[in-house]
Amino acid sequence: MALSLKMIRQALLGGGLACLALLPQAANAGTLDDVRQRGTLNCGVSQGLFGFSERNSNGQWSGFDVDFCRAVAGAIFGDGTKVTFVPLSASERFDALREKKIDVLSRNSTWTLDREAGLGLLFAGINFHDGQGFLVRRDKKAVSALELDKSRVCVQQGTTAVAGAEDFFRTNSMTAEIKTFPDSARTLAAFEAKECDVMTTDSSGLHAERLKLAKPGDAVVLPDIISKEPLAPAVRADDIAWYTIVRWVNFALINAEELGVTAANADEAARSTKPDVKRFAGTEGEFGRKLGLSPAWALQAVKASGNYGEIFERNVGVNSRLGIPRGLNQLWLNGGILYAPPVR
Amino acid sequence: MRTTLQATLARTIFAAAATLFAVEAVTAQAASDRAMKETMSIGDEPGRISTEEVVITDGPFARQVVFFRSNEEPGTVVIHTSERFLHVVMPGNRALRYGIGVGREGFQWSGLVKITRKAEWPDWTPPPEMIVRQPYLPRFMAGGPGNPMGARALYLGSTVYRIHGTNQPETIGQSISSGCFRLANGDVIDLYERVPMGAKVVIRHGATI
Repeated sequence: MALSLKMIRQALLGGGLACLALLPQAANAGTLDDVRQRGTLNCGVSQGLFGFSERNSNGQWSGFDVDFCRAVAGAIFGDGTKVTFVPLSASERFDALREKKIDVLSRNSTWTLDREAGLGLLFAGINFHDGQGFLVRRDKKAVSALELDKSRVCVQQGTTAVAGAEDFFRTNSMTAEIKTFPDSARTLAAFEAKECDVMTTDSSGLHAERLKLAKPGDAVVLPDIISKEPLAPAVRADDIAWYTIVRWVNFALINAEELGVTAANADEAARSTKPDVKRFAGTEGEFGRKLGLSPAWALQAVKASGNYGEIFERNVGVNSRLGIPRGLNQLWLNGGILYAPPVR
Repeated sequence: MRTTLQATLARTIFAAAATLFAVEAVTAQAASDRAMKETMSIGDEPGRISTEEVVITDGPFARQVVFFRSNEEPGTVVIHTSERFLHVVMPGNRALRYGIGVGREGFQWSGLVKITRKAEWPDWTPPPEMIVRQPYLPRFMAGGPGNPMGARALYLGSTVYRIHGTNQPETIGQSISSGCFRLANGDVIDLYERVPMGAKVVIRHGATI
């Protein structure tokens, strides 16, 4: 019995190794070469989502998802402007990636098993932890979602937030009157008309909806997040080298914030004597070469967009119009869960 | 008096590595020598009136409950100088967050201290170094609405630094003090009620390259 188990394990292990060994050949390698040859990164973004990807009247793109692609372009070209943005609807985004219309999808997409295992793509690391939250009127003085017993809850029909809210109230021995509405506008209108005490959807969405109230200051988004909506950039699964680059640009932006490297002091960082900053800046080690990039790849990414904190604050943070607190998206050192492996 | 403080500071710098165990260890990470010699080195508009009702009501520096994952006990005060926030840790991954004004560059520091004294409407005695830099300052000012120390002060360990109110609430979010942490008067009164004597205060400053 033990023997047969061992044999099975060996067989599996052998098979696994064979698969790994096959990958480089099977891989449709060369996204990096294609991008270099083309001279521009093709980046799939949403068709317009406040704070995440927006195009102004001059055709200039800005936003959290946009800045991520600029950072990737910075790492590759040393020039964050070498990006062609491809606006995509929710239904066409993964096809566009598979059909090579884009090199990277940076479009507030939730990382799920179904998508990763079913669609032939890989998510390159969470860059925004979103999740279902609650909007309440400030005068309720609630500081926790656990204080919402016997509330009337407005939620948009057909979204996962309906079941999410029902489950949350049941699990925490609370009752709620769930009221559903056909679209987000009518859900918000009902909240504003005090037909309900609470409105619920993903937290980033609540912050955006809150701005549409006549008096945004009268409503607050509670700090509770009751579901997991990890937003992540995605690439095709057939080019591991490219996947590694995109993955490590994300890590680099987070590490930059932790190290104190900003868009403004990136040049200064190249002269730092601190070992971890030297490795980041490429003045020590050969990390850029291993990615197929120049030694200063990480600094170039930060110069293009700023570090993670700068990108967050500029586009969606408390000093932007959206005003989303860092919350989960704060560094692990500062009370959040952002944690990137080291450049080492 | 000041010499004693200096000596205490110097002694405790080396204990900073073991901040979790050294109750009043203070690293002078970015503080200059000059900063250490200061007492209550704060802004300079004595006479400006700010009443105790003044609180920050809107924007990031308004008092609010935020998600905050921490290993510190509820009731611990955690100050992030780079972000200009003071947190009072609450149970369940939450904290009550206040906007603060912090020390200007060269006057920022980090470490672990405890609240050693609490005072309402504290007096203000600008130290000689401050008088030299800002000769127009009064030599002594009794506590009250026009006092730059504001409505309340929480004294941090044996250091020269304090958490205090201000008669300049518009400076919340800025880095202009000499190492003290200032809150709007209404907010410091709220904080004063929540933070008992002996409460732990962790002061953290962002990394420098």
